[in-house]
Amino acid sequence: MKKSRLTAAGYSNAKGALDIVREIGEITATLWWRFFDWLAQVEWRKLVIIWLLVMIFGMTPFGHPEQTGAFIVLSLGLKVLAGGKRRAELEARDATTHADEEGLERRLVEARMAALQAQVEPHFLFNTLALIGQLIETDPPQAARIHQNLIDYLRATLPQMRARGAGTLGRQIEMSRAYLAIMQARMRARLAVSIDVPDEMQSATFPVMMLQILIENAIKHGLEPKIAGGRIDIRASVDNQVLQVDVLDDGIGFNVHAGDGLGLANVRERLRILYGNRAQLVIEAPLTGGTRASIRLPYAPDIFAGGAP
Amino acid sequence: MNRPTALIADDEEGMREQLRTRLRDAWPALDIVAEAANGIEAVALAGQHQPDIVFLDIRMPGLSGIEAARLLFRRCHLVFVTAYDQYAIEAFEQGALDYLMKPVGGERLKTTCARLQQLVGRQPTDIERQLQALLAQPGRPPAAPAAPDYLRWIQAVVGANLRMISTREVLYFQADEKYTRVQTGQSEVLIRKPLKELADELDPDEFWRIHRSTLVRVDAIEGITRDLRGRQMLKVRNHPLLLEVSRGHAGRFQQM
Repeated sequence: MKKSRLTAAGYSNAKGALDIVREIGEITATLWWRFFDWLAQVEWRKLVIIWLLVMIFGMTPFGHPEQTGAFIVLSLGLKVLAGGKRRAELEARDATTHADEEGLERRLVEARMAALQAQVEPHFLFNTLALIGQLIETDPPQAARIHQNLIDYLRATLPQMRARGAGTLGRQIEMSRAYLAIMQARMRARLAVSIDVPDEMQSATFPVMMLQILIENAIKHGLEPKIAGGRIDIRASVDNQVLQVDVLDDGIGFNVHAGDGLGLANVRERLRILYGNRAQLVIEAPLTGGTRASIRLPYAPDIFAGGAP
Repeated sequence: MNRPTALIADDEEGMREQLRTRLRDAWPALDIVAEAANGIEAVALAGQHQPDIVFLDIRMPGLSGIEAARLLFRRCHLVFVTAYDQYAIEAFEQGALDYLMKPVGGERLKTTCARLQQLVGRQPTDIERQLQALLAQPGRPPAAPAAPDYLRWIQAVVGANLRMISTREVLYFQADEKYTRVQTGQSEVLIRKPLKELADELDPDEFWRIHRSTLVRVDAIEGITRDLRGRQMLKVRNHPLLLEVSRGHAGRFQQM
């Protein structure tokens, strides 16, 4: 009876000891891997400095020269033999996490952009419809033209209706022409428009709705609030393989306290996602007054466009 | 008896024409004495012609229809005409003021005209409070915003041009002797405005002061580390440089 109790106690002692041993093993393994990862990633320069320090310590009365030597040889061997592979593994794992995050971010932004693009300003829509209603009575051919322009504009604006291959400068200019024709019919003499885009740039890749956002801003914030109205100039040029599209107005100019609205933030964000640092949205206040908004991005003309219908 | 008179104000000629024609059908006795193409003209012409009724578009250059109404409401009966203005319509529906939707016409215009025929010759109602409420509506472009006017664009001379840099693009501002360095993801420019002045004009929720000479964009903060000397160093997104957080401003990052 007594003996068996002793055995039980011994057994539980042994179990406790076993647990401790296991724990020590686990900690050692973790520490070892941590050391190994560190060794794989540490710069050679730092490692050499550490060796020197260890050697100096090893030569003092407290040191153990043999162990110091063993440490140096062991770490050198590990670093040379397994370091490269382990480092590549760690970097790959890091890159994967990063790529996942970026992919997620991109999808998120795309969804948000789609939501933004779907917004046709109700003000614009109702005012245009009111104008068409008026023109049906007074000038039916003009009513038909404005009606057609409105259809072209909506077709290009609503993402679910957007035609394939819309992402060229030519197509974007076409839709903006429809919009500007409507605004000219509404503002009459208060709005003058000029568009200067060389033919060879028509086929260049250009993200959808960006030019349109700049033009709508110029009208809404620059020209509509100006009693006399004004003009809007759209120009494209290529310099050093960079396509630059300018939207220039001579409106009331920039309000430094007005938030940049969803439109411009949206353009900037999309340029960043599509082109990184190779594209830019630049807003300037020319000395002559008004505002100039420019989009600069890599010039990518469609070399097959000439032969296509 | 004198014929009742009216003025039409709308920045779009087509819309003025439409209202004029429709009014002629709905109320032949009404005399349209003048037409204005913006808010300022509307107020001036109303002063000159003293009409009984003024039809006002809401979105107009110069003065918005609502701003013009504040100057006119004691002198004449006002009717707002708008294509789409959800805030204004809500407000009108609760008040005595009348409003018309573009395209104007049909039964609705007849009702308005019948109402106006009763009112002509009487003192216009006091609608000051309603107009105040309309002007205070958030998001109304012609009215002044209720939020304080923080600086949202930085003006910087780049070459021969004055460039406008959105504060959303700025990663941080750093004092540099007489100048302030403006760092964006893509470029770095110097402006003449001192950091202290900028700090007063910027939205304090948008930019935090982390050092006597540094203001950092809150959204752009990626993380914070300690360097070998124990100083807190701030990492900004898409930028290699670490920014020092001074002791005085470290409190903000204690929980991080």
